[in-house]
Amino acid sequence: MAQSFSQLPEDLRLVKSAHVTYIQSLDSRKDEYDYWLTEHLRLNGLYWGLTSLHLLGQPDALPRAETIDFVLSCQHETGGFGAAPGHDAHMLSTVSAVQILAMVDAFDELETRGKGKAQVGQYISNLQNHETGTFAGDEWGEEDTRFLYGALNALSLLGLLELVDVDKAVQHVAACANFDGGYGVSPGAESHSGQIFTCVAALTIAGRQDLIDKERLGRWLSERQIAGGGLNGRPEKKEDVCYSWWVLSSLEMIGKTHWIDKDQLAAFILRCQDPERGGISDRPGDMVDVWHTVFGLAGLSLLKYPGLQPVDEVYCMPKSTTARVLGH
Amino acid sequence: MADHGGSQHGIARTSRVRTEEQRQRDLGRIAKYRELEDQARALASRGEHSTPELFQITTKLLRLNPEYYTIWNARRRCLISGSFSNSSAGSSRSKGSSTTSATPNTAPSSAKCSSPSSATTPPGPGPQTAGKSGTTADDAGDEASNPIENHEATPTPAEAKAPAAEATQTTEATEAQDLSVIKSELAFTIPLLLESPKCYWIWSYRLWILEQAIARLPARQARKVWEEELGLVSMMLGRDRRNFHAWGYRRHVVDQLESTALHGSSMVETEFAYTDSMIKTDLSNFSAWHRRSRLIPRLLEERGADAQTRREFFNQELELIHNALNVGPEDQSLWYYHQFLVLNLVSPNQPNPTTPSQALIVPDLPLADRIGYLTSEINLIDELLEDYDDVKSIYEALFEYRLYQTQLEGRQPDEREKEELARWLGKLKQLDPMRSGRWADLEKEVGLGVYM
Repeated sequence: MAQSFSQLPEDLRLVKSAHVTYIQSLDSRKDEYDYWLTEHLRLNGLYWGLTSLHLLGQPDALPRAETIDFVLSCQHETGGFGAAPGHDAHMLSTVSAVQILAMVDAFDELETRGKGKAQVGQYISNLQNHETGTFAGDEWGEEDTRFLYGALNALSLLGLLELVDVDKAVQHVAACANFDGGYGVSPGAESHSGQIFTCVAALTIAGRQDLIDKERLGRWLSERQIAGGGLNGRPEKKEDVCYSWWVLSSLEMIGKTHWIDKDQLAAFILRCQDPERGGISDRPGDMVDVWHTVFGLAGLSLLKYPGLQPVDEVYCMPKSTTARVLGH
Repeated sequence: MADHGGSQHGIARTSRVRTEEQRQRDLGRIAKYRELEDQARALASRGEHSTPELFQITTKLLRLNPEYYTIWNARRRCLISGSFSNSSAGSSRSKGSSTTSATPNTAPSSAKCSSPSSATTPPGPGPQTAGKSGTTADDAGDEASNPIENHEATPTPAEAKAPAAEATQTTEATEAQDLSVIKSELAFTIPLLLESPKCYWIWSYRLWILEQAIARLPARQARKVWEEELGLVSMMLGRDRRNFHAWGYRRHVVDQLESTALHGSSMVETEFAYTDSMIKTDLSNFSAWHRRSRLIPRLLEERGADAQTRREFFNQELELIHNALNVGPEDQSLWYYHQFLVLNLVSPNQPNPTTPSQALIVPDLPLADRIGYLTSEINLIDELLEDYDDVKSIYEALFEYRLYQTQLEGRQPDEREKEELARWLGKLKQLDPMRSGRWADLEKEVGLGVYM
């Protein structure tokens, strides 16, 4: 398969150095209004950028010490992390913090300079709904399988899964299954590729893939590829680079990536690059952002595009990181 | 990992070069925005949630940036300790409204590699551009400038409300006050939702406000507030028929309206009728088909449908989907719904431990009848080929359903059927090379190698 990529048109190549430069430039845009409007995503953005750099083989392109300082500066007494200093703690930014610290191998600094792993675990486990097994995003109670996945992701990285009722969480995910083999945001909700990723990954972390109807799910996921090679998130919707990750990683987890046309998907992602300034967009010709950049790169990595580090399909982090942290 | 809104979806790539004038204008906007942030943090860190100042600043900031979840939280705290009466301590849902603030340092420190333009949740493209929404900080508070806000009772803006310091209010007065705050908050979020219909934080704030209605108002009044919410959801779904936020929100609102807390009763009939109208508007709306598939089992149960009625209902659904397939056999939404119906025939014999049984519409149908139904479906689909011999979904359905049929009959496909399956699979390979790996797996699984 790797050799078939050489059949891609000459101009369709991964512009690695442009992507590195693009990601490095993201924090130098303080004179742009958007920089401030997206501060509520700062920690997530750092995770997306850092993961991109790791996949591009440039893990040191952001200074490690400053990265750790910034992450720790976002932590609250409760153990949870906000998106930036002065922002409230939330599951999503807490998961990003744990993932970043895992990537830069700094759990010991969390222990010595932060509030410690146990406190982070406590923050997350307090967000589990003991009746249903699902998780809230924060104290205000919004529930979603994204948060459930995030909890299992971060807790497993911290080695603290025993803090929560994993069986209950698994039951909740099973209740989100639909007749088409997919999963929704909550029981009764329509199947959606993003939620499928969170549910399948959560079941994988919990060691309960036996609950997945792999044939039916694989069919549904493979039908997400549409003319042009890109993947959509639901039937009869437009393609978008971020689904290169949600759909493809789900297919990978159930062993069915060969059910789509990998070359066409790789070509679609490559066409979404900004070849001059770096970064990847949702569709060809649109504005790039770091979110589509990481999911485009992660997709290419899963497709074994040459020159990229292998990505872990469950955690969306470099395999080298999950191997080190989880001892795989 | 998944995250919240603000990514660049569908915005054309343009040169990033700004003129000096544009840059200066940006700097001015940044200064204004950050000044508001600083004020909000200063007031919040002093715990001044009960003063009108902080509340007013949240109004301005959220209009500039509805993705700012910390500010939505600050607004909740303002309401709890200020505008709302104290008769009901806190929200029914919140586990406590105090968070320890991260660091007293308010200066947004140097995020390495933060994203000026990032992200959404996996669930779908996020709001077009965070920050475009709302008006400028200067006219924040000018409720009248938003025409949509006049759609329902828009009482005095909560901004204008003095914090409820007086302890000796009558129940009636506190309820009236709470109702007014609730209505004002609901009105406040409408223009924000219209601007950013995929912003999680707005939807979740709105739900929190609605829950305050249950916690703080008599059931009859709370019910009215929730009932009006259905109108909002319908409006949002009218603008984007597939918005899964809105569909999820609708489910939640209906659940609540059916609950005893709101003196509710089943709405399954009206909801089913709603899917009817949505499907009639747009056959491709899988969200509506999905909702329909979820409502049917309850609908039949509540109708007390006997075997005959169930069979008639099943026939009607088949007819509906046949008519749709006749005009749009390429439409995946239709085929998924057809599959749902067919699974009703198959699942009693195919207990799949991983997927909930779909034998929900006609559970007691005798085996011979199920086989009869399936055969007739196969024949009808086969007829579609007369007009559409190059539509892949037709061959896929034929292949799948023929296998179901032989399974129901408790046998392997015979020679003639294998030849037929091989012919359909050949068409699938030809029409849909993208999924050739899947067709190869099917060929192996069914043992069609020698027939191809």
